[in-house]
Amino acid sequence: MSLDRRKFLKYMGVAGAAAGASMLVSEGVKTKGKAAIGPTTAEAQTEAKEHRYEVKPGELDAYYGFWSGGHSGEVRIIGVPSMREIKRIPVFNIDVGTGYGVTNETKALLKGRFCGDTHHVHGSYNNGVYDGKYLFVNDKLNNRVARIRTDYMETDKIVDVPNIQGMHGLFTQRYPKTEWLVCNGEFQVPVPNTNPNQSPADYNGVHTIIDAEKMEIVCQILMDENMDLAATDYKGRYSMTTSYNPEKGVTVSEMLAFDEDFMLVFHWDRIRSALKDGKYKMVNGVKMLDGRAGKSDLTLRIPVPKNPHGINVSPDGKYAVCSGKVAPTCSVVEIDKIEDAFNGKIKPKECIVAQPFIGLGPLHTTYDGRGNAITSVFIDSTNVKWNIQKAIDNEKNPEEKKKNTHIVDVLDVTYQVGHIMATMAETKEADGQWLVSLNKFSKDRFLNVGPLKNECEQLVDITGDKLKLVHDSAAYIEPHDCIMVRRDIIEKHVKDRYNMFDNPLAVTKAGVERKGNKVTVKLTANAPVFGLSEVHLKKGEEVTVIVTNHDEISDLDHGFALSAYNINFVVAPFQTKSVTFTADKPGVYWAYCTNFCHALHLEMRMRFIIA
Amino acid sequence: MKKALVLFIMFVFASAAYADKPKFLEHRYEYKLEDVLKADKYEKKDRYWEAYIAGKLVGYIFLSKDWTAQHVGYSGKHMETLVGFDTKGAITGVKIVFHAEPIVLIGLKQDNYDNFIKQYIGKSVLQGMSVGNEIKMDAITGATVTAVVQNAIIAEGAKKVAASAGLIKYAAQQSHKISQKFEPLSWKELMDTGAMKNILITKEDVGQQGGKDPYIDLSFGLATPPAIGKNALGERTYAQLLQSLKEGDSAVFIFSNGPGSFKGSGFARGGVFERFHVEQDDRTYVFTDKDYIMFTELAANGAPTIKEGGIFIIRAKDFDQSKPFKLKLIISYRIGVDSKFKAAASDYKLPDKFMEQ
Repeated sequence: MSLDRRKFLKYMGVAGAAAGASMLVSEGVKTKGKAAIGPTTAEAQTEAKEHRYEVKPGELDAYYGFWSGGHSGEVRIIGVPSMREIKRIPVFNIDVGTGYGVTNETKALLKGRFCGDTHHVHGSYNNGVYDGKYLFVNDKLNNRVARIRTDYMETDKIVDVPNIQGMHGLFTQRYPKTEWLVCNGEFQVPVPNTNPNQSPADYNGVHTIIDAEKMEIVCQILMDENMDLAATDYKGRYSMTTSYNPEKGVTVSEMLAFDEDFMLVFHWDRIRSALKDGKYKMVNGVKMLDGRAGKSDLTLRIPVPKNPHGINVSPDGKYAVCSGKVAPTCSVVEIDKIEDAFNGKIKPKECIVAQPFIGLGPLHTTYDGRGNAITSVFIDSTNVKWNIQKAIDNEKNPEEKKKNTHIVDVLDVTYQVGHIMATMAETKEADGQWLVSLNKFSKDRFLNVGPLKNECEQLVDITGDKLKLVHDSAAYIEPHDCIMVRRDIIEKHVKDRYNMFDNPLAVTKAGVERKGNKVTVKLTANAPVFGLSEVHLKKGEEVTVIVTNHDEISDLDHGFALSAYNINFVVAPFQTKSVTFTADKPGVYWAYCTNFCHALHLEMRMRFIIA
Repeated sequence: MKKALVLFIMFVFASAAYADKPKFLEHRYEYKLEDVLKADKYEKKDRYWEAYIAGKLVGYIFLSKDWTAQHVGYSGKHMETLVGFDTKGAITGVKIVFHAEPIVLIGLKQDNYDNFIKQYIGKSVLQGMSVGNEIKMDAITGATVTAVVQNAIIAEGAKKVAASAGLIKYAAQQSHKISQKFEPLSWKELMDTGAMKNILITKEDVGQQGGKDPYIDLSFGLATPPAIGKNALGERTYAQLLQSLKEGDSAVFIFSNGPGSFKGSGFARGGVFERFHVEQDDRTYVFTDKDYIMFTELAANGAPTIKEGGIFIIRAKDFDQSKPFKLKLIISYRIGVDSKFKAAASDYKLPDKFMEQ
């Protein structure tokens, strides 16, 4: 092992002093092994209990895991550490189970586009820690950002982002609270995209700032570079991204041409001033600032080696780590130096305080809150734990650097890790309990389910010096990233029933209303009956069915499905949903409850009689 | 992430996707015969050249694709290699003529690859060259699949040319048919027949605490004789194996205990098992995931539980099950954070009992 114990403790101590109240470190004495149950506290436990990942029947997971669902278009809730999938939240996709994309309310969100590619889920913050109110997720495919309200755990807003393609990277403001969030355009395109013959040399990437509460675009910043992953700092000053294609290449070889690409920094105060001073032009209804080199002082370009990928800020707020991808190193940028670089006092490159060797294909970095970073390494197929301070110290000591003494441990993962995330690691309360390695390949780890295999997510205990693999779980298409949030932060927000009058259509009394060719069927649902036993319609009428679940008992959901009419949705307690269709098939059609509700669930049905 | 993955998939299909485009993902180099062995005259033979200085034969040169085209790397493509050796069998030069190995694009530098190749100079074709022994992997740790396949390409090709040129002679041995007789055998009885050989790598061997405790305690044997395969693997797995065998195929089964792994992880992405291969005379058999059936338990009465196991099909008519062969292991492990390699091998000869006499 590279660090002897004394040195190791020294670095533990440094990290502990720097990283805030919820550390498991006190007076340089290493403690570890919190039980899986219950959130971390500041109490120091002197010796390790077994760090338990098994969550027995009747127990609850310690963390809400929020996973993106990749090109399934959804978000998933995984209990950590049990790794049980608890819920799927449809976001950019159709979910025929809940009726997301079937009901009028959700059709209005999707606007007919039900393919999506969710990459990065991040929460809303207050003072560097999740406030538990919202989750945000991007759609790389149709360039949208969705918001999920955590009280109902459902998508409540979707905003379209014009002028970009390949929306990659999304991050929320961490301080003082989430008023803004940012997202990137990974594919450079003509801006505005009106001239198909435009030369790729004139394509642009765009950085977008969105108002998190209003879900409206604040402004965009026009760039020459493409932008990949995104991050924000812990003082509300900057958003940051990596860029692997300042070449403006359109083929792989062109994109790999430069030996140095960039970490880009966006200066929020200067952006606010530029907006106030009207230094923008309107492009597709959005205020477009010019962030291109030489055009304004809004942006900073820090050169990092060839084709970087992830960018992650350490929980103490000090460093942004760019993972090298094509380069076998990570670049550690000291965030407090960025202001001097913006002001021309130092060169952008001087913000880099270390460039430690990590392995072949470093992609993303996460943190244990004890001064260590853990980086996913794709080609080597490993998780590499390394000490940040040691890497910085070694920069002045080439002998030590050559010996890679910053590396604490290397864990082989199976196989080909993409994202990596530790519990609470994107907050200043990173607690160093669990890490999930989101591996892309899973061959031989699970029953063979055909050529299209699941992915393999590995749970790693990070409480000790060594990374300890404890569990494999299978994931279907195709989580990219996740966050794991302490249970206490989320559960106080989560509701058991809807506020009935959130939806102005809520039905209090069942009945049928007619207006010309338009018919509204208002239904209450109370186990085991709908409010009407039959409805008479004429062929060709445009019918809107509104269903409100009047059962107050939490957990008692109803479904509404209309035979042969391709309609199904679920209504949770006090929820209202509606659907509109044309009664084009005459005959008798049973509507029935699809979501088990009662001993007489099967009898909970009614007739639509269409003449 | 997505992009990195897409890159890798593109590498695999590089030739199809880039058929009409600049061969960015492929590397082809000009070569002359003198690049690997200087001489004043080269005489073309069947699939190799003889090199002469002042009329005196000084060595041999061959292109690997004429001899070992079946060995393909991570890219799914053969790494075409020009090799020269002198009349005593010492390698005089090696030059890569073509490769499409993706690791040289992401991660490794071409220099690393060249340094790996340079090691071959002076090594003996006749004694054989194994990765982890004569050939060190230090230059290209992380590219184990590429290294192992490249070694098979050079070592096997050189041996074959040496045999053609008369530098190596293999003792003629009688070939036998495999007995199709089946008798139920307990694990102990099966072990006592000598049908399985063992390779033990201890924790001490790989610089770990734990002394003589196994790091890998590996056993292997021929799977095809029913009295071995059916007893060891059980009726269902054995039947599954027979179904996947084509005329002329044979199979070995390998299983192990201990924290180390003989399968490694290279096969999961590149499809090639880089940690072991079979050698018989001048032929090397490297396995891919297309030749692989996983098994997780042994069937014979009294058999131990195992950590990992696999049946590996030798899809080559030139492999003779009744003749001796070698299983070679190259296990990668870490000391601290440094990658190291430990090589080990075992001879295997099918006991007479399982052959028709």
